[in-house]
Amino acid sequence: MNELKGMQRRHFLKLLGASALAGAGVSGKSAFAGAQPHVVVIGGGVGGATFAKYLKLADKNIKVTIVEKERQYLRPYGSSEVISGHITMQDITVSYDALQKNYGIEFVFDTVTGIDFEGKSVKTAGGKNLGYDRLVVSPGISFNFGAIEGLTEEVSDTLMPHAWIPGKQTELLAKQLKELPKGGTVLISVPQNPYRCPPGPYERAGLIAQYLKEHNPTARVIILDAKDGFTTDLTMLQAWNRLYGFNIPEEFKGYSVEGLKAAGFTEDEAKRQLAAWKPIKHDKPGMIEWVMGSQGGRVVRVDPASMTVHTEGGSYKGDMINIIPPLKAGKLALETGLADGTGWCPVDRVTFESSIHKGVHVIGDASIADVMPKSGYSANSQAKVCALQVKALLAGQSPAEPVWQNTCYALAGNQNYGQFVADVFRIKDGKIARMNSPRYLPLDATPVQNSLAALYTHAWMKSFTDDCFA
Amino acid sequence: MRKTFPILGGMLAASLGLAAMASEPAAPAAPAWTPATLMQTLQAMPKGDAARGKQLHSEQFCASCHGVAGESTTMNWPSLVGQRVEYTYKMLLDYKTKRRMEDQRGHLMVTAVQTLKEQDMADLAAFYAAQPLPAMQGGNDVAEKLVRQGDPTRLVTPCAACHGLHGQGGVNETPALAGMTPEYFVRTMKRYRDGSRDSDAMQAMRAFAKPLTDAEIEALAAYYAAASR
Amino acid sequence: MFKKITLGLVLAGSMTGSLALAEPTGEMLAQTCAGCHGTQGRLASDSAFMPLAGMSEGSFVKAMQDFSSGARPNTLMGPIAKGFSEAEIRSMAAYFAKQPK
Repeated sequence: MNELKGMQRRHFLKLLGASALAGAGVSGKSAFAGAQPHVVVIGGGVGGATFAKYLKLADKNIKVTIVEKERQYLRPYGSSEVISGHITMQDITVSYDALQKNYGIEFVFDTVTGIDFEGKSVKTAGGKNLGYDRLVVSPGISFNFGAIEGLTEEVSDTLMPHAWIPGKQTELLAKQLKELPKGGTVLISVPQNPYRCPPGPYERAGLIAQYLKEHNPTARVIILDAKDGFTTDLTMLQAWNRLYGFNIPEEFKGYSVEGLKAAGFTEDEAKRQLAAWKPIKHDKPGMIEWVMGSQGGRVVRVDPASMTVHTEGGSYKGDMINIIPPLKAGKLALETGLADGTGWCPVDRVTFESSIHKGVHVIGDASIADVMPKSGYSANSQAKVCALQVKALLAGQSPAEPVWQNTCYALAGNQNYGQFVADVFRIKDGKIARMNSPRYLPLDATPVQNSLAALYTHAWMKSFTDDCFA
Repeated sequence: MRKTFPILGGMLAASLGLAAMASEPAAPAAPAWTPATLMQTLQAMPKGDAARGKQLHSEQFCASCHGVAGESTTMNWPSLVGQRVEYTYKMLLDYKTKRRMEDQRGHLMVTAVQTLKEQDMADLAAFYAAQPLPAMQGGNDVAEKLVRQGDPTRLVTPCAACHGLHGQGGVNETPALAGMTPEYFVRTMKRYRDGSRDSDAMQAMRAFAKPLTDAEIEALAAYYAAASR
Repeated sequence: MFKKITLGLVLAGSMTGSLALAEPTGEMLAQTCAGCHGTQGRLASDSAFMPLAGMSEGSFVKAMQDFSSGARPNTLMGPIAKGFSEAEIRSMAAYFAKQPK
């Protein structure tokens, strides 16, 4: 393993940089005549994997090592379908073989015990000392159990799982759903922003509602939310209104000209949609109830012994309780000082280089990326931009103006009703901003659009997974 | 000229490991066409309204993949311009009844046509048929030979025998091929050749495709695609 | 295609935004599409999406224009197409046209 001391290599690269000016954006052509720069990536999830692959595509002569503690990846996106029984844990398992075989990315399957930012090296539990020229950290999320009284990691593992990182907890929720008593209650708590996968808890609620509709029709789902809206709310709530007898709360302000304009539609488009669709008013409560933040939905305390959840506004007993606690950046980011007081990692928006430790980039959920949602697609998009920027930086060139996307599909509940969020981002006035285009399907979308969107949801899961890992 | 083959029933391809990806549960497919059932169905086809078909083409999202006029802007999905009504009607029925669902694109079509009724299908078919079929250009020796003469040594019937000298189709439900998008053509012929597409009424296309080499299929694809739009 | 590059040496410093950055390349723009349309526009295998590798520039530009204007019905491509400028779309078209199938 190449372990040239950081300083020596940098000096060498400086000399090389002046004469190695390939045109920006010409991939595959190495800018390095002799020395092989080494980029270490901590985390083999969507962010880390995509970064490594795309850096190799940009310049195969850069040595790239991923340090990852698991030997296989469990994909979080779409993992709620394991809970509803549509797919298995095997279906969400992704191999690291292709990344190694197809791109020559090296893997160290181990945990990181420390980062020496001065000496530019990463230490692993197994005793490795990986020297780097640039470090990319993509550590995902960790859970702030302490934010909810009575919630501990043990309670989460046994009684009130989050399954917000897939694994045993996903299987536990699937089991709990199968064993739900007739007419039982499922509780799902949703934290305040920012959190991983904004529409995720609601897609999960829809999938569970669909399962209950088929197997336990007198049971119901109650969403206890710290917020009053969420990414895809316009289309998700409309779907539930149609499919699960869901009544749109009076307090929900999305179905208005302002609400639709905020989702990127023009005034005329907004008016057309509002004229075409009016929510159905169901006489009885449906399978899904949504307690909004302003109605006291935020969870403050849980009592595992009595399977009760206490919110700002009331108390709820549940037979299956999915508590998604407030989140923070992954433990490694917290422990190595890459995160700030918010619990997330501040970065330069052009290169995603840490504002705290130079020469280190933080991408994916852990990073503070302004309005970019914390999602798999965002992590993938940030990783690709970061790869091109890191290539430029290593070659002594200027990074380019970035552009990102966040394009994700989600099911509303059943396998024939899909929706999406589609965002394009650029930097505007120093912050990452959305280009003003519609984010969602319109409210007067036709049934064929929804069934195509459902089909695309599954197609997307495969193509997206391939883009990151194959 | 046409051979008669024993009828093979059943769908082979619906379970090609797509279960995890399918957006709908695997339902039993309709029984395979026989010459009798196909003839009855085509005779019962309602009269189509091309103007209504044009509207459906847009509303039902056909235009999304097949292009504003059905011309298909990618090489991957079939051109529909000038297609014969019998063939289009059969294709839509094949998708609706899941006789055709060979791959992910097939799944997409199955999803897209679920809400279509027979009249809708006839209207769409009329819209595509109402548009001028691209004119064949010729100029590819390998293809020209197969189209006009076939190859008796391998029992390859001339394509023109059913598909016409101008790629206009014509015998029973045989489709027009003039202007067919080349990648779709190649994919289709290979699927007939290996049997993964089995919606052809008497296994006819499966038999005709079997002796062809990859190079010949590519040559035919180029030949039909070269038709001017 | 040679893009204007500001040759500031930025080996270790962070970008404050006061340096003029080169516009995103066709490659960077096109990479945002790969989640659905495949790495470098190539899809691994059977997919409901279409590959973009090797698509002619004219076809790509027309498709994006038609999606943006609504002339070509779509689920998600309209919103996506609207998020890019004409110049960016041409830049992406040039990138995909060069990609081997």
